[in-house]
Formats: sequence, structure tokens, C-alpha cells
Amino acid sequence: MMAATTQQPLSPLVPPLTLERPVVWPPRVEHTLANGLRVVLVESHTIPKFDAQLLFRSGNAIASHIAPGLAEMTAACVRTGTESRAEREIDETLRRMGADLGCGGGADNSSISFSGLSEFSRDLLLVAADVARNAAFRAEEFERERRQKLEEIKIERTTPGFLAGERLRKVLFGAHPYAVASPTPEQVAAYTREQMIGYYRQHYVPGNAILLAVGDFDPPKFIAQVEEAFAPWKAGAREEREYPAPPQLCGRHVHFVDFPGAVQTQVLLGHRSITRQHPDWFALSLANALFGGAFNSRLVMNIREAKGYTYSPRSSVHPLRQHGYFSVHAAVRNDVTAATITEMFYEMDRMRSLPVGADELADTQNYMTGVFSIGLATQDGLAGQLATVYLNDLPKDYLETYRERVRALTLNDVLHAARKYFDTANAQIVVVGDRKEVGDQASLFGEVSWYGAQGAPIG
Amino acid sequence: MSKLNIPIEHATLANGLRVVISPDRAVPVVTVGVYYNIGFRLEPQGRSGFAHLFEHMMFQGSEHAGKTVHIKLINSSGGVLNGSTRYDVTNYFEAVPSNALERTLWLEADRMRSLKVDKENLDNQLAVVKEEIRVNVLNQPYGGFPWLDLPPVANRNWHNAHNFYGDFTDLDAATLDDVQRFFKTYYAPNNAVLLILGGVDPAEGFALAKKHFEAIPAGKLPPPADVAEPPQTEERRATVQERLGTVPALAIGYHAPQRRTPEWYALAMLDQALHGSRAGRVYRTLVLEKQIAVEASGGIHYPMGDVLDYNGPMLMVTSLLHKPEYSADATIAAFDQVIREVQQQGISAAELDSVKVKFRSDYFSTLEGGMGGYMPRFGLMHYLACFTLFDDDPTLVNTILDGFVAVTPEQAQAAAKKYLVPANRAIAIRRPKNAGVAEAA
Repeated sequence: MMAATTQQPLSPLVPPLTLERPVVWPPRVEHTLANGLRVVLVESHTIPKFDAQLLFRSGNAIASHIAPGLAEMTAACVRTGTESRAEREIDETLRRMGADLGCGGGADNSSISFSGLSEFSRDLLLVAADVARNAAFRAEEFERERRQKLEEIKIERTTPGFLAGERLRKVLFGAHPYAVASPTPEQVAAYTREQMIGYYRQHYVPGNAILLAVGDFDPPKFIAQVEEAFAPWKAGAREEREYPAPPQLCGRHVHFVDFPGAVQTQVLLGHRSITRQHPDWFALSLANALFGGAFNSRLVMNIREAKGYTYSPRSSVHPLRQHGYFSVHAAVRNDVTAATITEMFYEMDRMRSLPVGADELADTQNYMTGVFSIGLATQDGLAGQLATVYLNDLPKDYLETYRERVRALTLNDVLHAARKYFDTANAQIVVVGDRKEVGDQASLFGEVSWYGAQGAPIG
Repeated sequence: MSKLNIPIEHATLANGLRVVISPDRAVPVVTVGVYYNIGFRLEPQGRSGFAHLFEHMMFQGSEHAGKTVHIKLINSSGGVLNGSTRYDVTNYFEAVPSNALERTLWLEADRMRSLKVDKENLDNQLAVVKEEIRVNVLNQPYGGFPWLDLPPVANRNWHNAHNFYGDFTDLDAATLDDVQRFFKTYYAPNNAVLLILGGVDPAEGFALAKKHFEAIPAGKLPPPADVAEPPQTEERRATVQERLGTVPALAIGYHAPQRRTPEWYALAMLDQALHGSRAGRVYRTLVLEKQIAVEASGGIHYPMGDVLDYNGPMLMVTSLLHKPEYSADATIAAFDQVIREVQQQGISAAELDSVKVKFRSDYFSTLEGGMGGYMPRFGLMHYLACFTLFDDDPTLVNTILDGFVAVTPEQAQAAAKKYLVPANRAIAIRRPKNAGVAEAA
């Protein structure tokens, strides 16, 4: 029953929307250093600070044949000292400038992100460049980071949400490196300093990098400071590697991770999907927002607001560089595990079978374009949008034309996207819960493979 | 150092509703917040979790905007919305394209005037809140640590010591009558502040505020809850089992001096020297150098807020995950060594200066986005609201830094000697049940 979400007519008292203010996209300044480093700057004077990201187009995937999670572990070590600066000196220098600096590594990319007060921009750029060029990988810091990583991945394996996401990635990507969400303790124990140094030398190079900065600065002056800090960086180019194809999965299958004593069940179903470069990306994004991506979406209204099964159900399209995947998630009370999966498929099938209402389409278009504008209003929000464009090689006018492209979508586009990309027939169903409590409910949806929390199959 | 000069205009409507506007006409987005001076610390005795459950009910319908309409109208206007329950306030907020300003104000006014919910809505949100508690606390390693662990150990006044998320038995006892009574008691315009930030013309903002809110009748407010904490004379400790996580967790909380006193400013700067970033003494010593802990974080009002957004007794918290080969006592001894150093040697003028620069820089970022970061000006809204409700002075946003900048090394050392003593602290420990989740056979 959907009684509680039946659309009531809106009160005539609701004030109409007034005229929209124009969304002005601030101009970008682009510059390329002689060593190949691309620089993109956008002025934003909201606060006397700037937010910068030095992004490398390599991540865990490209090094997966050497060691899983290598890009992430390398990033953790990069932060711990350079040839001329000890770790403590870096940390205290940053604090003196009101700055933060963090390093990260994901499946496709690695990053050195930094932000700080504009008055110290020159010195902060010098520290960031030092970290990018001269990380020392001292043995003691390496061992410390390795131990921290070990404890972190042990805790991950006690986190139901992590276990669900990890299992879905394994199922959807098979032999492709995107299958690995986290290394095993044995793999972490086998990491060597030489692997980190090798990864760093090969991938932390200007030709593989882009520097994005948003903030309170004068672009010509800032570029001069970037030149001073990064011009001595030795050139080096981007490398590519071929990966095994992910499996073609046919039919629904249940992947059950037993978590004895769980007082709640994680349901995560999904299948592979498209990337941001795909022409259907906008239509699928809209279909997703309407289905389960927004608070005011069908899925949330159904299983939260009408049925009270869960706190924060959501669906998402995850666009990795080579392949995307689509997922639907909810953490639910044990006795409604089967009911939740049924409703998820019901709502997906409804999107596939019937056109959405014209009002729903308009509402979702407004939602997407509005949220996009809100995302541009802070320095780090703006930097994040720029990163999306440059890391995915999106058209130059992607941001400027985003709103028009969303507004141009039709009812037919949404129906087409749902039919093509909401693959209920072949969805993989991951359940993390207490097998004794909810195993029978999960078994209703297909053949079941059973796993323990450490990842091994169980009988 | 340049003085802050954020434009702030404020007024009080005839019904006592305070209105604060901070315009920035350049932007096409407006942020709206309504803050009520009622948080989980202030909820009625014996009704743990009620303030938070009630926050959910405010999304369940009002006279002219029934269930789901609030969410639908904000999302479909291109905006995002949420609410949260904190120690001393409950807030409701939206970021929308500025053409939806009047619609947003109308929605907030409608639910301030008339909460219209039924038993089905209450049962529904009771179920949702239980799943929220399961996903955040009961089915999560270190769930609720340390924000649910420390208060009952450190405090003796029920208001400061109870389970803020709520015991399920207390939550189940909630009736529609309770919901309406709570609404009538605390959700009056004279117990609230309305904030409008960003793409708004102030004259228009005040006119719209009057139009939609001024007719809502003022309420008779109950006397403020007595949240005073009796003085503590000896260290308090408690240990509970960690059901999921694999390493021990330990949190230490010291009672902080009263806010906006010189000692409070001094402790806040000392707190930054201890807990601010990786250069902070606690992280540097325990994680980076001695390598006893694998994680360390902390602060005044950590992890639910910061030094500027509470009103009453509060703890300065250090939260650690430490290696199992170190006992809790050995870990505490290493922590005590850090504290002894600041008591005996103090912190240098250079360190203090550096801490102040970082504090100022973080403050700017919080004002711009902050605290979750998904809404522009969230931090500015939040501080303006707190300074209005707690101090009746939103313009403190522009001047509050002065008090922190004025702290001397001597004051910081004196605060360490006076407040960072065992008799003034509580320690909450979680000992893991497992070294890891065993593989089922």
C-alpha cells in the first residue's frame, strides 16, 4: 500500500517561485607549465582562503598487479615527510599558515589536496610541491602507516556498510581491478617501501597531473607562484594499462555476508552501469534522482516515509573511469529484509514500465539544476565540480551547459534510461546480516552464495 | 589581521521571533534556517530521545503542507533541506535557489504555526528513528563513541547525563499528546530565531518574515531547565564492551569553564594546541611519535559540535583508538604525559600564535560552508543562530575571534593547571569483545 505517499493537491497558499537569478559561472584561467603540468584557476572571494587539488590520473587500479591498494598506501606515506622536511616540520608549517593538506588514493586517481589562507599562498604551494616531488618514504613512517592501515582494515571488516559495498564490487567487477575495495591484512603486510617509491616515481609526475585551485587570489600572481613552486618538477607522462573485462552477469543472484548478532540488515543491490562520458549519462542521472537519489524520491517516500523500514535509503550511479555501477541501498530492520528487496524491485520496475509524471520530471529537473547551483557556492564545492570535469575529460562547457542539458530531457528519455539501465532481471543482491535471522528471507530472491565477514565463502 | 565585517541585520518581530539577515546579493542561492532553543540536553526528564524524535515529526506535516509536502516543495524548487538536534538547539534548514525564498519561509512558518500529525506519522517516524539508531550506534563499530559514552560517566545532572539518542523503551512511550505538548511548549516564535543568508535583499527579507511569521502567537515559555552540573571532586571511570570493533577505544573528558569567560577562551586555545590537526600535541605524540594510538581526535564539544555552538556545561574531549598491546592505563599514562608537559612548560608564544592562525582559518571555512559542508553558509547560519539564542547578539560572529586572539601563554598554562586535572575528568573505555569477527565455519 502506498496510501501515505499518495500525492495530495498542494495548498493554493504555496507561494510561487519568483524570477530566477542568473547563475554566473566564473571564468577559468588555464595555464600549462613547461614540464606539462596543467593548471586551472577560478577566482572565488567568499573567504580569504583558497582550495587547491593536485590530481593524478592514476589510482589503485593501475597498480593492482603490483599490490592491491598501493595508490592509497602510497598517498598515506607521501604525507609523512620529504627529503628536506621532516613530518613534524610539515605539520607545524601548515598550521602556521592556517592550512590543511591531505593525500588520497582511489580506484582511478590520487590527490594532494590543500587549502589555506590566501596570504600564505606562496609558501603553501612550495610545501605542496615539495610533497609532490620529494617525498622521502622513511622506513619508520612507512611501518607506522602500514600498522595503521592494518588496524583500519580490521575495523572495516566489522562495519556492515563496508562489507556490503565490498561484496558488490567483487561480484560486479570480477577480475577487473575495480573489484577490490580494500586490501587484505596479508597484502598490507607484504607492502614494501620500494613499491611505494616506484609508484610515486611513475605516477606523481606533471604530465599525469592537473592542479585545480579555487579561491581568493589574483590569477596572474598565483600562476607566478605556481611556476616558482612547480617549474623545477621533472617532466613525466601519463601511463595507461589494459584491464581484464568484468564478468557478464546473467540472472539475479543473492550474495549473503553472514554477520552474526546483527540487529539490522544491510541490503545493497546493483549492476554495472555507464560512465560520465556516455551520452545517456544525464538521462540516467535524472532517472536515478527521481527513483532514489533525492529525499523526495520514490524509493525514499515508499520505504521510509510510507513504510518506516529504514532511515536513509538511497540509490546512486557510481561513475568510475572505465565502468560505472548502479546501486540501491538501505539498512533495514531484520524482519522486513524481503519486503525491502521486493519494494526496491517494484520501484525499479515501475520506472521501467510506465513513464514518470510530467510533474515528477519537472520537479526532478528543478532539483538537479538547483543542487548544481548550490554546489558552486563554496570554494571546495566549486573545486569538486572542476575535478569532475577534468578527471573525466568532459567537454569544456560541461558546467556551463549542465542546466540546459538537464532541462532538455523528456519523459521518453527517462523511460528509455530506466529500461536500458535499471536491470532488474540481472541485478545482484548483496545482504549483510545475521544468517539465522534473515537468511531465509534473502533466499527468496535467487540462488544464494554465503560468505563470512572476512570474505571467504562458507557452506 | 583584518577585522571581520560580515553584513548582519537583525530585528525582533512583535511575537518575539528574532530575525537575522546576512545578505550577499551576488549569489543566486539563499540559505534559510529556523533554530529553536530546545535541544536534547533540555528534553523533559525521563523522556530520553524525545527532542530528536520530535525533530522528525516536524517533517510530518503542518496545516497547509501535509506529510511529504515539505520535502517535495524544497527538493522540487531545486533545494536541499534537513534538520538536526543538538545539545541546546534544534535546527531546520534549507538551501534553495533564491527564487524559492518566499516558498521556503512559508513552509517554515506553516510548521511553526501548526504541527498537524497523526498516530500513523508517529509510528512511522518511531520506526525510522530506531533504524537511525541501529545504523549509527547499535550495528556500527564504535557507534555513538564517545558522544553517548562520556556524558553519563562525567555528569550527575540528568539533563547532561542521559542517553541523548533515546532508550527504545522511552521512545516507545511517546504519544501524540506528548508531541503536541512539546510543540506548544518549545516551538513558539519567542523561543526561536529565523535566519536568511545569501541571495536576499534585507528589506525584502524582513518584509517576508513579517508577512509569514508575525501572526503566529507567542507562547508562554517554561522556566529554563536547570542544567548546572554539581562540582566534581574525583576522577570518574567506566568501561563497557565494544561489540564489533577490533581495537580498544578510550575517551577522556574534562569539564570546561563557563563559555565566554577568559578561562574559557584560554582553554579553547589550549584545546587547539592539543587537538588541532596533525600538529596537535595529542595526535603528534600518541599517534605519530609514541605510536600507542592509531587514531586520535578531540575538542571542546567534540564530536557533536565545536567550542562556539553550545550553551551550558560541556566537556573537552580526547577520543583515542589504541593498539591492543597497550593497556588502557598505559595509554592514559602516555596521555597524562602530554598534559603534564603543557602544565609544567606551558605552550610557547610561537605555538600559541600558530594555533590562533589555524583557528581563524578554520573559522572562515566553517562560516563559508562547514559542518558537513553541503550547504553554503551553513556555519555562518549556525553561529548567528547560537549567538542570538544564547547571547542575544548575532554580531558576535564578527567579534568573537578577538577573545581567542587575546589569550596569552600564561593564561593557557593556568587553564591547563586548573582544568586538566584528574579530579575534573571522566574516562570512558570500550573494550572489544573480539579481536576480529571470527569466520563462521
